[in-house]
Amino acid sequence: MNNTWKLLIALSSAGLATGQVTYERLLRAENEPQNWMTYSGSYKGWRYSALDQVDRSNAGKLKVAWVYQMPITERIETTPLVVDGIMYLSEPPSNVVALDAATGRPFWRYRRSLPAKINVCCGQVNRGVAVSGDHVFVGTVDAHLVALHAKTGAVLWDVEVADRKSGYSLTGAPLIVKDMVISGVAGGEYGIRGFLDAYDIKTGKRRWRFWTIPEPGQPGSQTWSGDAWKHGGGPTWVTGSFDPAQNLIIWGTGNPSPDWNGDVRPGDNLYTDSAIALDADTGKLKWHYQFVPHDVHDWDAVQVPVLVDGEWQGKPRKMVYWAHRSGFFYALDRTSGEFLLGKPFATQTWAEGIDAKGRPIRKPGIDPSPEGTYVWPGVQGATNWYSPSYNPLTGFFYLTAWENKGLYRKGDAEYIAGNRYIGSVPEIDLTDEPGWGAIRALNPKTGERIWEHKMHTKPWSGVLTTAGKLVFGSTGGWISRERTAMESYFFALDAETGRELWRINLGGTMASNPMTYSVNGKQMIVMPAGSGVFAFELP
Amino acid sequence: MRPIVAGLLLTALALGQTQPVKNPHTTAADAAAGARIFRSHCADCHGLTGKGGKGPDLTTGVFFHGGSDAELHRTITDGIEGTAMPGQFFSADQVWQIVTHVRALSRGGTAKAPPGDPVRGTALFNAKGCNGCHLIRGNGGVQGPDLSFIGSQRPATQLRQSILDPSETVDRTYWTAEVTLENGEAYKGFVMNEDTYYVQILHPSRGLLSLPKRNFRKFEVSKASLMPSYKDKLNDAELNDIVAYLWTLQRPRRAE
Repeated sequence: MNNTWKLLIALSSAGLATGQVTYERLLRAENEPQNWMTYSGSYKGWRYSALDQVDRSNAGKLKVAWVYQMPITERIETTPLVVDGIMYLSEPPSNVVALDAATGRPFWRYRRSLPAKINVCCGQVNRGVAVSGDHVFVGTVDAHLVALHAKTGAVLWDVEVADRKSGYSLTGAPLIVKDMVISGVAGGEYGIRGFLDAYDIKTGKRRWRFWTIPEPGQPGSQTWSGDAWKHGGGPTWVTGSFDPAQNLIIWGTGNPSPDWNGDVRPGDNLYTDSAIALDADTGKLKWHYQFVPHDVHDWDAVQVPVLVDGEWQGKPRKMVYWAHRSGFFYALDRTSGEFLLGKPFATQTWAEGIDAKGRPIRKPGIDPSPEGTYVWPGVQGATNWYSPSYNPLTGFFYLTAWENKGLYRKGDAEYIAGNRYIGSVPEIDLTDEPGWGAIRALNPKTGERIWEHKMHTKPWSGVLTTAGKLVFGSTGGWISRERTAMESYFFALDAETGRELWRINLGGTMASNPMTYSVNGKQMIVMPAGSGVFAFELP
Repeated sequence: MRPIVAGLLLTALALGQTQPVKNPHTTAADAAAGARIFRSHCADCHGLTGKGGKGPDLTTGVFFHGGSDAELHRTITDGIEGTAMPGQFFSADQVWQIVTHVRALSRGGTAKAPPGDPVRGTALFNAKGCNGCHLIRGNGGVQGPDLSFIGSQRPATQLRQSILDPSETVDRTYWTAEVTLENGEAYKGFVMNEDTYYVQILHPSRGLLSLPKRNFRKFEVSKASLMPSYKDKLNDAELNDIVAYLWTLQRPRRAE
């Protein structure tokens, strides 16, 4: 063999060694901060990076490295993944593109053809892909799960997860656990019966399904009456986390259906608005915690579970931190689901507090009514699906919060397959009191606020923290009544004090989460805005 | 064979385009369902009876963004860009029911002119100085709302009320910012936009300005109208004439 051949073989096997995302690499994602291999950056759901090239001393110098423009009209909600210099990201509605992470130039693009009628409540969006081995996985708005070849974008398999005609769609990023791809579903405004699925990475064959709404006779079914469970909602549209030590998938579930009229579904409506912990191999429920029993405000628990090990009141404990849409910050025990703490992180008028067992003490007069009932927070919550972040260097929990009230109306709700099953429509952006937003840092052991960075409007994007002791976040609310202009600043804050260090106006809808990676020795910070994906670097 | 097939297809497509879309939900039950939705989601702006208020009168039978079933369906579903009319969060079937109710509201309705002489009204409008603040099709000032198509946007009763009591309902676009900077400079103008760092205003003499909040000493937003009440400045006949004139300021109808 001549030297050229030896070199070629060496190069290609090096490519194999670094180009394949294995389960072992995902387990130790923290050890390779140059990559961002899952939706939240690691199984713990921290959206934290150990990269520290960009820090508080130089963040003010960040500049645009490249912009990737998507040929789309829908809103971008994706978090890109980066594996060994290649960026994989979804484009709305259900397309996937592979880019050179150094230049933003595309290698390949998968474009899904879709049927004319798609049942999505809030835009034909997608929040990201999952990568394992040579496979890239994407959920589609016509409720399929598709495996693509990472080097070509060719379809390897394509399975129907559920019937799109009855209101199911897939908008969340899947999560790889062992040799399975875990995927949730959306459709809480269409009266679906929610579930979480596991599929074999190689074949697309389903391994297990956990129904978030139990059928009669199953545990939890006593919290429903009549046939309401058949269209009870409980979607699973935001990526959960994984605790390998306990073999537990921890995932959030969404609202019961119909959203704003609970008359047809008396009872607590398990397992809607809950944290669920499932055995990763069987999909069996190990524990659950319901944030809002019998929700009538559409307060999904579709937040990323943040898994932290540490001391709790002097004893070592495994915790889940959870800032819920209803305005309360929670700490739960991760082995049992036991309630540890529940404290408001934003203005709320619906609960006196949370009792010792973790059940909210509801105030009277908060239910939606035909003429409308004002409640804080509004229907989009005090936070929503966009990601929080945990930084181990400060020990703080960071989140995007809204200060807002909503007018909740109650109307008829009749189930017709494929139609919205919601029971009236609340008012979100009140003319006289549109509300405002903030990035907040909390002490997760007490729920106390450490600092806040106020914004004029209500943002629609999450936060990233880094070992450079930075928090990246953005504003993204409407700044004009005619909904023609948005506040679109992307900024860096000091993670210890909240002081603003840098900002740029990107001038478009910002409705996803920042992420970071490193290529050719340079740390890059990424945030989508409008129809573009912006990558920033130091000069 | 191919050209013939293509020809047939084209004919079919052309036929498809000329075929008007009919509302499939027009029963009494549909109208009642549409009425319930209208009460909770449309009446705030269009009034309980559809006679208008913050939003246009829907009882005249004239719809400026298209009066066919399909056009009404589209307008209700998507909203109207650049206006306060939002898109609605309903199923296609429910929107058809709203269309049925809107049709019922406007049944027999005609675009009847209010009493008064529009020609005298035009003269009064200028004589009383209204044109100093209001722009009509390019003529006038920018210290008040553009009235070029106000006859399409507000019912006559609302126009009358706004002249008598301008501050009763003030669109957010005409809220006024009063700003004093650290150096003592003072500004007063309409709030065009506000974000975390800037307030953008329309200043009556200096035009479009972005004022950085970090330099603010005082910042207040008034929701009251800058327009004085004309209650004691116009007699009843004059008021009728001006309303009659404003009512003639209709948006040109789209070709159907």
